[in-house]
Amino acid sequence: MKTQTATENNVIVIEKLCKHFGDHTVLQDFALSVKKEENVVVLGKSGSGKSVLIKCIIGLLKPDSGNIKVFGQNVPDMSHEVLDQVRARIGFLFQGNALYDSMTVRENLEFPLRRHWIAASQNEVEALVMEALENVGLAHTVDLMPEELSGGMLKRVALARTMILKPEVILYDEPTTGLDPVTAREIDKLILKLQDKYHTSSIIITHDMNCVKNTADRVALLLDGRCYAQGTYTDFEHSTDPNIHQFFE
Amino acid sequence: MAFTKNIKAFLNDTGDIAGFAGQFFSTGIKPRFEVLELLNQCYIIGYKSLPLIGLTGFIMGLVLTMQLRPSLVAYGVESQLPVMVGIAIVREIGPVITALIFAGKIASSIGAELGSMKVTEQIDAMEVSGTNPFKYLVATRTVATTLMLPVLTVLGDAIALFGAYIGVNIRSATSFYLFFIQVFRSLSFGDVLPAFFKTFFFGFAVGIVGCYKGYTSSKGTRGVGSSANSAVVLSSVVIFFIDLLAVQLTDLLGLN
Amino acid sequence: MANQTAGNIKLGAFVLSGLFVLILAFYLIGKNHNLFGSDFNIRVRFSNLNGLTVGNNVQFSGIQSGTVKKINMINDTTIEVTLSIDNKFTSYIHKNAVASIGTEGLMGNKIVNIVPSNLPSAQVTEDDLLIAQKKISTDEMLQTLSKTNNNVAVISEALKGTVLKVNGSTFMALLNDKNVSGNLLASLQNLNKASANAIKITNGIDDLIVGIKNGKGAAGVLLRDTIAAGNLQAAISSIRKASDNADSLTWQLNNLARTVNGHLNSGNGSLPMILKDSAFAKDLRATMYNLRQGTDGFNKNMEALKHNFLFRGYFKSQEKAQRKQQAVQSQ
Repeated sequence: MKTQTATENNVIVIEKLCKHFGDHTVLQDFALSVKKEENVVVLGKSGSGKSVLIKCIIGLLKPDSGNIKVFGQNVPDMSHEVLDQVRARIGFLFQGNALYDSMTVRENLEFPLRRHWIAASQNEVEALVMEALENVGLAHTVDLMPEELSGGMLKRVALARTMILKPEVILYDEPTTGLDPVTAREIDKLILKLQDKYHTSSIIITHDMNCVKNTADRVALLLDGRCYAQGTYTDFEHSTDPNIHQFFE
Repeated sequence: MAFTKNIKAFLNDTGDIAGFAGQFFSTGIKPRFEVLELLNQCYIIGYKSLPLIGLTGFIMGLVLTMQLRPSLVAYGVESQLPVMVGIAIVREIGPVITALIFAGKIASSIGAELGSMKVTEQIDAMEVSGTNPFKYLVATRTVATTLMLPVLTVLGDAIALFGAYIGVNIRSATSFYLFFIQVFRSLSFGDVLPAFFKTFFFGFAVGIVGCYKGYTSSKGTRGVGSSANSAVVLSSVVIFFIDLLAVQLTDLLGLN
Repeated sequence: MANQTAGNIKLGAFVLSGLFVLILAFYLIGKNHNLFGSDFNIRVRFSNLNGLTVGNNVQFSGIQSGTVKKINMINDTTIEVTLSIDNKFTSYIHKNAVASIGTEGLMGNKIVNIVPSNLPSAQVTEDDLLIAQKKISTDEMLQTLSKTNNNVAVISEALKGTVLKVNGSTFMALLNDKNVSGNLLASLQNLNKASANAIKITNGIDDLIVGIKNGKGAAGVLLRDTIAAGNLQAAISSIRKASDNADSLTWQLNNLARTVNGHLNSGNGSLPMILKDSAFAKDLRATMYNLRQGTDGFNKNMEALKHNFLFRGYFKSQEKAQRKQQAVQSQ
C-alpha cells in the first residue's frame, strides 16, 4: 500500500498525472511504476479512466500535467520521431482489437513491421508474421480477412500483431472483455505464455477478476483518478476496504 | 439561443475543417510519403469510379443535347448544337456534375471508412504502430481525390461529348469528324483551362471534407452513418462555392 | 502483391487515357489557334476594328488559315493588326491581296478575311502590309438606310400634295363629266359618217363625169358642151378637196380621241396637263360644235345634190347595184 519509488529497474514511471475532459476530471495526481518483466493490473470500474491512462502512456492522449517516463524518457515531451521509436518498443492490445478490416491477417501483421522499417526483406517479414501467428496458434488464418474470424480468433490475431515487434512493454486494454469465459482463460494463458517467452513487462487494464487472478503480479486500483491501492491479488482478496471488496462480489 | 448555438457550431465546424486542411498542408504532404497507399487509393478512388462517371457523363451529354435542340431549332441555329453542347459540357456541366457524382460516391465512402476506423480504434492502432494516420489515411485519400477527379472529369467530358454526338444524331445526321471539329473550333484555352483547374479544387474539397467528417466521427454506427451523410452534403455545397469562386476569378482574370 | 500490380496497371491505363484525352484536347484547340507549327506574320492597318480581338480567326478565301496575333494602336485613326498565318498559305497569298474585317455567321465572332486580287503580284513575305478594305459595318448601313428613309418620307409627302391638287382640278372635273365625253364621242362618229358619205359622193361624181364625157344618155348630149363640162369639173374638184380636208380632219380627231382615251385610262402624260387648261376645254367644245354644224350643212348639200334632176338617175342605179349586192351577200 505504499508508493513505489523510481529505480533503475522500472520501465514505466508515472508521476502526478492529471487529465481532464472539459469539466470532468479523469486522472488526478495518478502515480504508478512498472518493473521489468512485471505484470501490473490496473483495476477500475467502467469510466474510471483506465483506458485514458494507457492512452496517455502510449502518447495517444496528451496529459494536462505530470510525467510519464517510459524507458527513462518523458512521453509528453517527446518529438514525433522519438515517440515513434519508443512506440516500437511498446505493444498495445486494443479493446476492440482494431484490426484493419480492409486488410488480410497477413497484411494486418505486416503493417507494423513496414511502418517501423524493422524487416528489410520479404522473407524476413514472412518469417516474423508466421512466427507471430504460430505463437497464438492461428497460422492457418494468414490469408483470411478479419471479418471471417471469430471473436476469440480476432483477439488472438490482435495479440499476435501486438507481439510481432517483440515489444518490451505491452499495454492490454481489457483483453478479455466481450469473450466467453473459456476463451477469456485461453487469452490469459496466452498472455502469460508470451510474457515468459519474450520477457515483457505489461500493464493490463481490466475489471475481470479472473483475468486479474491469472495474470497479475501486482494490482493497482484506480479510483477517482488516483491510485487508490496497490498490492498482490491475495492482498486485494483479503482486503476489507469496501472499494476493493466490491470487485469480488 | 438555439440559433446562436447553431451559428457557433457552424463556425466551429468551419474552423475545424480549415485547421484540418491546414494540417494537410503542414504535415500531410511532407515525407515520408505513403506512395503505395496513395497508388492504392488512386486505384480505388479513380479507376473504380470511372464506370459511374462514364455512365452519368454519357447520359448527361445525350440528354443535354436533346433538351437544347428545340430552343436552337426555334432560333434556326440547329447547326450550332455541337458548339452549344460542347461549351456547356466542357466549361460547366462536365466538371460540376462529375464532381457531384464523385462526391456522392467518394466522400461518403471516405467518411464511412474513416469513421468506422475511428470508432473501432483502427486509427489509434495505426498511430501506435508508428504510422502517422493523418499521412496514411487523410493525405493519401485527399491527394488521390485531388489528382483523380481532374482525370475523371476529362474522361467524363469526352464520354459526355460522345453522348452529345449520339444525341445530335438522333434527330439529324452529322459525321463524327464534323461534330468534333465544330466542338473544338468553338473551344479556346480560356474555356478548358479554368474548367480543368477547378476540378483539382473540387477533388481536394471532396477528399478533405470526406476525411474530416470520418476522422472526427463520433462513436457508434450512427456516428459513422451521419459522418458519411454529412460528408456528401458538405462536399457538394463546397463544390458549388468553389465553382462560384472559380467563375468570378476567371472573370476577374479576363479568361472568360 | 499480384493484385496490387494488376491494380497499378489499371490505374496507369486510367491516368494515361485521361492525360491522352487532355493533351489531345489541348492540341486540337491549340491547332485551331495556331499555337503549334510554323507560321509567319503579315500586317494590316484598319481605321476601325469593329470589335476584332486577339485570337480571332483569319480566313484566306474562306479557309481557316490563321489567327489575329497582335493589335497595335498606331494613331487615332490607324490600328495595325498583326496576323499569324500558317506557313502552307504563304505561296497562295500575294502582296496585293485585300484584307477586311467580317463576321462569322450572322452574329458570330469577328474574323479577318483575306481575299486574293485578280491581278498578278509577288508572294507575301514576313511582315508585309496588306491592303485593307473598308467593309461597311452594320452601323454604317443602318445610318445610310435612315437617311434614305428620310428622303423617301419627303418625296411621298410631295407626291401626296400633287395627287390632291390633280384631284381637285377642272380637268378631272371635265373628264369626270359624262356629258362632255359623250358629246365628244358622238361628234366623232358623225364626222366619220360624213366623210364616208363625202367619199361615196365624189366617187359617184367621177363615174358620172366619165359617162357624160362619153356622151351617154340625154344628159350626156346636153353636157357635151365643153364649157359646161369644164365648169362642172371644177365644181366637183372643189367638192373633192373639201371632202379630203374633212378626211384628214377626222383622222386627226380620231387620233386625238384615242390618245385622250388612253390617257384617261392611264391617267398620265402631257395631254391631261393640256386638258387641264379650262380655256382649251372651252375651245375644244366650240370646235366640236362647229364641226357638227359643218357636217350637218355638208349632209344637207349632198341631200340636195341627190334630188337634182341631173344626178337622180345615177343615184338610183347606184341604189339598185347596192341592193343587188346585199341580196347576193344575204344569200
